[in-house]
Amino acid sequence: MPAAEVAARVRDSLKSVKSADLKDAQLIEVLRLAQQLTDTMQMFFGSLDRSIHEEFNSIAAYIARTRDEIAELRPNDIKEQRIPVAGAELEAVVSDTERATEAIMSEAENLMAAEPTDLDAYKAHVDEAMCRIIENCSFQDLAGQRVSKVVTSLKHIETRVARFAKTMGVHDAEMTEEERAETERRQRLHLNGPAQGGPETDQSAVDDLMSMDQDAIDSLFD
Amino acid sequence: MAVEMSMPILVVDDYKTMVRIIKNLLKQIGFENVDEASDGTEAFELMKKKKYGLVISDWNMEPMTGYELLQRVRAEEATKATPFIMVTAESKTENVIAAKKAGVNNYIVKPFNAGTLKAKMTAVIGEF
Repeated sequence: MPAAEVAARVRDSLKSVKSADLKDAQLIEVLRLAQQLTDTMQMFFGSLDRSIHEEFNSIAAYIARTRDEIAELRPNDIKEQRIPVAGAELEAVVSDTERATEAIMSEAENLMAAEPTDLDAYKAHVDEAMCRIIENCSFQDLAGQRVSKVVTSLKHIETRVARFAKTMGVHDAEMTEEERAETERRQRLHLNGPAQGGPETDQSAVDDLMSMDQDAIDSLFD
Repeated sequence: MAVEMSMPILVVDDYKTMVRIIKNLLKQIGFENVDEASDGTEAFELMKKKKYGLVISDWNMEPMTGYELLQRVRAEEATKATPFIMVTAESKTENVIAAKKAGVNNYIVKPFNAGTLKAKMTAVIGEF
């Protein structure tokens, strides 16, 4: 029951007690104090009501804004279209490159195994194999187009997520235990993966490191 | 002592294509007795049953990486003297140093060619 309604009911009760034409001065005093207490409480609870009301209004506005921002993010489009399509494209790239590599390697292995006893027949064999190798190299064009689509999707998602995070003032949460354990495992096992733009340490630098004794290697880190 | 060209070599890589490339390169330089494994666990099981003259292993494999395989090989009495070459796209200095500390005999950065493989094999097992 709202504070104003409670106060009104208490006030009505006091009024009806007073109208009973009581003569007891002490009782009258008690009733007057009760009236003052009720008025004070009404002011207090009234202000609480207003602040709670404002708080709820602000929460409702925040929820509405969040819902609008999530709608702008278009999560269903990301979940049902962008990510699955990107995944399928990457899988296709892997299978296309595997198929082409398999075909090219088979041609090369056949050529290495061929006997050049009849030179004309051998040349014809080499020419045909080379044509098939060149044909199979067309996978690069398809793979390039597929990867471009994936990159476009990733950029699209990145833009939407970045806008959402900025608008909502989102800060990254701590890593989960599972993520932390996986990160630590990758660090412990030095699983860095291929460097972008070629090897970070080229073969000659690797050879230099391999020829150094342990003290010399340790001194690099002093 | 001359290298026995029929010595068994174990190639460890989770990509079949890379195994095939290495096997072809080995064949080109005269080694045809080659077994293959797709990760460290499978490789170590093979090594328990057969003595290999050389292990050529990738680094990044699951569930057991080439780095873990190297550590395990060096920790076991029966396998600790097996020559071990790491062939990997892991090209950070920390990787090379970690492998060296773990007892790798040589380290090849992908992509590589037959000449590099032959040179590193010669450095590890001798002239052939």
